[in-house]
Amino acid sequence: MTPTEQLFSRRTALKSISSGFGYLAFAALADQEALAEGAAKTRSPLAPKDPHFEPRAKRVIFLSMRGAPSHVDTFDYKPQLQKDDGKQARNTRLRGGRLMGSPWEFSQHGKSGLWVSELMPEIAAHADELCLLSGMHTDIPNHPQAQVQMHTGTSRFVRPSLGAWTLYGLGTENANLPGFIALNPASGTAQHFGSAFLPAIHQAARFGSSSRRSARRVRGGTKEEVPNIKNLKLDTELQRLQLDYVQNLNRAKLKRDGDQPEVEGVIESFELAFRMQDEIPELMDVSGESRKTLDLYGIDGSASDGFGKQCLLARRFIEAGVRFVELSHGNWDHHRNITNDLPARCNEIDKPIAGLLADLKQRDMLKDTLVIWAGEFGRTPHGQGGDGRDHNNKGYTTWMAGGGVKGGFKYGATDPHGYEAVEGRMHIHDWHATILHALGLNHEKLTYRHAGRDFRLTDVHGIVAKEIFA
Amino acid sequence: MNLRAISFFLVFSASLGLAQDERELTTEELKFFESKIRPIFAEYCYKCHSAEEKIKGGLQLDNRAGLRHGGDSGVVLVPGKPAESLLVTAITWADEDYEMPPKQKLPASAIANIKKWIEMGAPDPRGSEKVVLENSIDIEEGRKFWSFQKPRRPALPEVKDEQWVKSEIDFFVMSRLETAGLTPAQDASPELLLRRLYFDLIGLPPTVPELEAYGAALRIDSDAAYRAKVDELLARPQFGERWGRHWLDVARYAESSGKEVNMTFPHAWRYRDYVIDSFNQDKPYNRFVQEQIAGDLLKIKSDEEWQENLIATGFLAIGTKGLNERNPRQFAIDLADEQIDSTTQAILGLTVSCARCHDHKFDPIPTIDYYALSGIFQSTRTYFGTVNVIVNRRGTKLLELPVPDATPMKILTTRELEAIKSRLANSEDEMAELLANRRSRQQGQNNNNQQQLNRLRTTVAQLRARLNGHDANGVAKTLAMGVQDYANPVDPTVLVRGEIDKPAQTVSRGFLQVLHHPEVPMSLPRESSGRLELARWLTSEENPLTARVMVNRIWQKLFGKGIVTSSNNFGTTGQAPTHPGLLDHLAVHFMKEGWSTKGMIRELVNSRSYRMSSTYSKAAYTKDPDNALHWRSTPRRLDAEALRDAMLVASGDLDLERPRGSMVVQVGDVGIGPRVNAAVFNRPVKYRSVYLPIVRDGLPESLALFDPADPNLVTGDRESTNVPGQALYMMNNPFVVGQGVVMARRLIEEAETSGERLTLAFQLTYGRLPSSSEIEQAKSFLWNFISVAQRKGRGREEAGILALSSFCQGLLCSAEFRYLN
Repeated sequence: MTPTEQLFSRRTALKSISSGFGYLAFAALADQEALAEGAAKTRSPLAPKDPHFEPRAKRVIFLSMRGAPSHVDTFDYKPQLQKDDGKQARNTRLRGGRLMGSPWEFSQHGKSGLWVSELMPEIAAHADELCLLSGMHTDIPNHPQAQVQMHTGTSRFVRPSLGAWTLYGLGTENANLPGFIALNPASGTAQHFGSAFLPAIHQAARFGSSSRRSARRVRGGTKEEVPNIKNLKLDTELQRLQLDYVQNLNRAKLKRDGDQPEVEGVIESFELAFRMQDEIPELMDVSGESRKTLDLYGIDGSASDGFGKQCLLARRFIEAGVRFVELSHGNWDHHRNITNDLPARCNEIDKPIAGLLADLKQRDMLKDTLVIWAGEFGRTPHGQGGDGRDHNNKGYTTWMAGGGVKGGFKYGATDPHGYEAVEGRMHIHDWHATILHALGLNHEKLTYRHAGRDFRLTDVHGIVAKEIFA
Repeated sequence: MNLRAISFFLVFSASLGLAQDERELTTEELKFFESKIRPIFAEYCYKCHSAEEKIKGGLQLDNRAGLRHGGDSGVVLVPGKPAESLLVTAITWADEDYEMPPKQKLPASAIANIKKWIEMGAPDPRGSEKVVLENSIDIEEGRKFWSFQKPRRPALPEVKDEQWVKSEIDFFVMSRLETAGLTPAQDASPELLLRRLYFDLIGLPPTVPELEAYGAALRIDSDAAYRAKVDELLARPQFGERWGRHWLDVARYAESSGKEVNMTFPHAWRYRDYVIDSFNQDKPYNRFVQEQIAGDLLKIKSDEEWQENLIATGFLAIGTKGLNERNPRQFAIDLADEQIDSTTQAILGLTVSCARCHDHKFDPIPTIDYYALSGIFQSTRTYFGTVNVIVNRRGTKLLELPVPDATPMKILTTRELEAIKSRLANSEDEMAELLANRRSRQQGQNNNNQQQLNRLRTTVAQLRARLNGHDANGVAKTLAMGVQDYANPVDPTVLVRGEIDKPAQTVSRGFLQVLHHPEVPMSLPRESSGRLELARWLTSEENPLTARVMVNRIWQKLFGKGIVTSSNNFGTTGQAPTHPGLLDHLAVHFMKEGWSTKGMIRELVNSRSYRMSSTYSKAAYTKDPDNALHWRSTPRRLDAEALRDAMLVASGDLDLERPRGSMVVQVGDVGIGPRVNAAVFNRPVKYRSVYLPIVRDGLPESLALFDPADPNLVTGDRESTNVPGQALYMMNNPFVVGQGVVMARRLIEEAETSGERLTLAFQLTYGRLPSSSEIEQAKSFLWNFISVAQRKGRGREEAGILALSSFCQGLLCSAEFRYLN
């Protein structure tokens, strides 16, 4: 390795001068007063910020299940539904209106004795970490609108996503990486990860996509998932020479101009980008993980391989200091063929998620990492066409783990058949308020002024479910 | 299609009726409805036609408004006339397309009762509690706010340093500076000023010959040379491309519907070109606004003029749309809302849509004003196209323009035409068969069948759309997005909290009371929507906002921020103007000078205030860190379009020809999704960035990374972020790397010695000559780079070219290239 390579190729060498690179350069050139002014203006909008109060969780992994998994077949045990299997459903006139007991067995798990169906045996083993939210409800039983609402609070307007608000509220820990990362987003879901009126820097960096080709690439573990992450003509040393020249020009401009926070910003963003080239592909390349770890996540060429890789990447990003990581898993819309398809989907995520929980725990990170599992709504207790369930926005279950929530705890309930939330009712606004609360953010105070008024993730709604916190 | 038009006519006559019969029901009527009619609806109809369950065919029978409004097929109930009511046709199974309920006919007694009920006038007590929404806002009090008062030209303020001022504008700027104890920055150097002027006026950097010619002219008379340059740039076709793009930001221009079902708008580009051409013609701004709001209703002298006016109304048609909305009434009201929101933010700088659900919390805009305005748009039919595939429930026709394209966008050969027709016929037959089969089966629904049906429906819709887009000879029709009045305008119903099933009183169509001026009549004609009157009201010289909002936008683009920094919000929660007198001076001047955009721009850039340098001053910074009083020129980043165009200019690759149409025309009428996505629109092209495809949630990378206007929103100010994704793009993207290579080749071709080549490089990128130390640094970079590259096994020539390319790319990456001082 040449001296230049030693100097510049390793991120360890660069981390030491990470966030203050341009700042230091500035210091060499400007007098102290100008420096203070410059520093005040150029403080990165993503620098870590204090929450409103002592947080329970410092970061979030959001496992988004697109298509709406059936709650009555997974995490919402309804013995009455089993009993009334085949009876005419009373509170509905939907087609096929006969109640359908879950074809799967439920049993109790852990010290807490939480009921989980046999479809999620590995997650069930972590029952004592799970906080089931069984009184969920949302406004619209349509996938696109409900997904947008789950992410932004409303489907009617373009609003910042939960991750963007989190980043806006807390900043991020690692200046070498984006603070909000979406893995494997479905196409056409930009709004789920957008910053809307928040400054653009709060939107998610999206890695991988759901199209079949790139999904395979995520699984294959190549290093080029991020657009423009690699220069095809210059190696690191030559690129560093080029960048040094550019930065010389930039610093000369800074010196000439006196006060130019924007130029300072250019200098810093080039340094972060240069470091990301090194760090991102490395973070996304899991080939160095032990067989044991890969097995833990179900990365073994089986059906769980793809989502296992995502879960492992999420852990690596979180560990590296990323504030909010969202994973996405699709095809949960079981209007028919539920007896085949639901077990298949569960099988794809069960081991990876269990592995993620176990891994976070063994790294002592579960205590301050909030893991959220959610579909956009639930499904009906009555069957559809004999082997399916229809959309149900009136009652469903999501869960959280870690991040200071009570483990082995079930909050809220649906009616005896699982149709409508009747206890501990939690609307999406309440859910958002509760997530922000875990992060030490008061959802009523986390505001951004736009078009003449202060906007919130929860609009004028939102009640924190304080009961779920330990 | 004719049938559709007729049904829309019926919809509106029915809603008018709804407003009239609001009398109390008799006990007998009430009893008949409750005992005979409601049970029929509940038992047989709600399953598919209620808010609780499904709203098939857009028809809702669980409330009076829904029933009276009808569904996708139009009005279903004509009170007093069972024979004309589609509802009766359906329940008697008299038309095979409308057999309801589909699986089993109603009992004869139920059918008789419904007929009788309709004869009685269909008395329906549901949801008829008379709700009247009161206005809680004191309009007179609200009118006292500065922006609701008509601008008046103030006297020029006194200044001490009369030597400094060059134009009336300078009096206002200087006076504020003097009061605050600030001194203006010195004049910018000629080359910095020229670069600023070029980008501000045409969005491109000066070429080297232009730089040199300007340098020569300066030596004769610098002020005259500058003014001549201003006039020259204003006259270039690139001016419209630059300033048209600014308006397209405000007009939330896009070539797809956005939201969940993102369907392309392959004809939106006509509006884009219209906007660009309008700026190039220096169309008076009041006229420009009138054409966009009511072009279809303006008097015309020729078909060409009519054509232009129709295309202009595309402004109202290009907004985001929730095409999967099941309820047509909800869709109509959301569409009107989007039109109100865009129109009022863009033209008035007000967020009137806030008043949809409640009286505006901050501005004197009551909900009833909102609905008065909404009535104008609800009486307007919007033509936005899109194909009605399964997920898209709300596609419409397009406007067929009076003057066909000289060369059609596409011509289908006879063979292609025949192929489409025969595929269509086959698919239609197959679909009919499938439907017949399904009907014959009494119970259950086969999913495969359903899927096949869905596929066929999509195919048929797509083929029909292709066919409809061409005439009998296969020549593509000349189509545009836009609006037309409905035959019968509707007086809008106020909706409690904006919910369609919570109607309150009916109000007359009209404008915002707070902006009302006695000289401009508020009453609208019975026979048309009132859009023409709205357009006139918006552009009346009595309107206190329109001119102010526009001059502020122009100022903002030239000075970095507006006099009112919240350029889309002139309401009470917006920012107060930093120079109120100047704003009014400009607004009045703008109107007096015939609303000329070019004239206003000329006025501003000829001021001394515009020509300041951006030099930092510690003393001034301490007093005014935000440069609100304009003690210097605010440094600005090149926006997405200018950055890409400037790279192409530096490399010599830019193609200044306007491309025909848009890439979106080539992909046709489709949904943006896995197959048609941003990747498709990243195809390398060399024309100006304003012509790149603007697909919602799928902008090309070269724009998307650099804070373009989000076409989902009315954008007054663009963000200016510095994120690593941009740096990665500049460092590694093949386009940027490639521009470095092309530029290096150009240096080699156009200059002899290394010194000349480096000099040319600085001129191409920075618009100035390099200093001798810059030349030395560049040389030492090249030597160093070459030696390292050679050590790594590259040949001498290869290393040399790589070094020069990397140097060129380096200049493109650098801050001086990407910022304007």
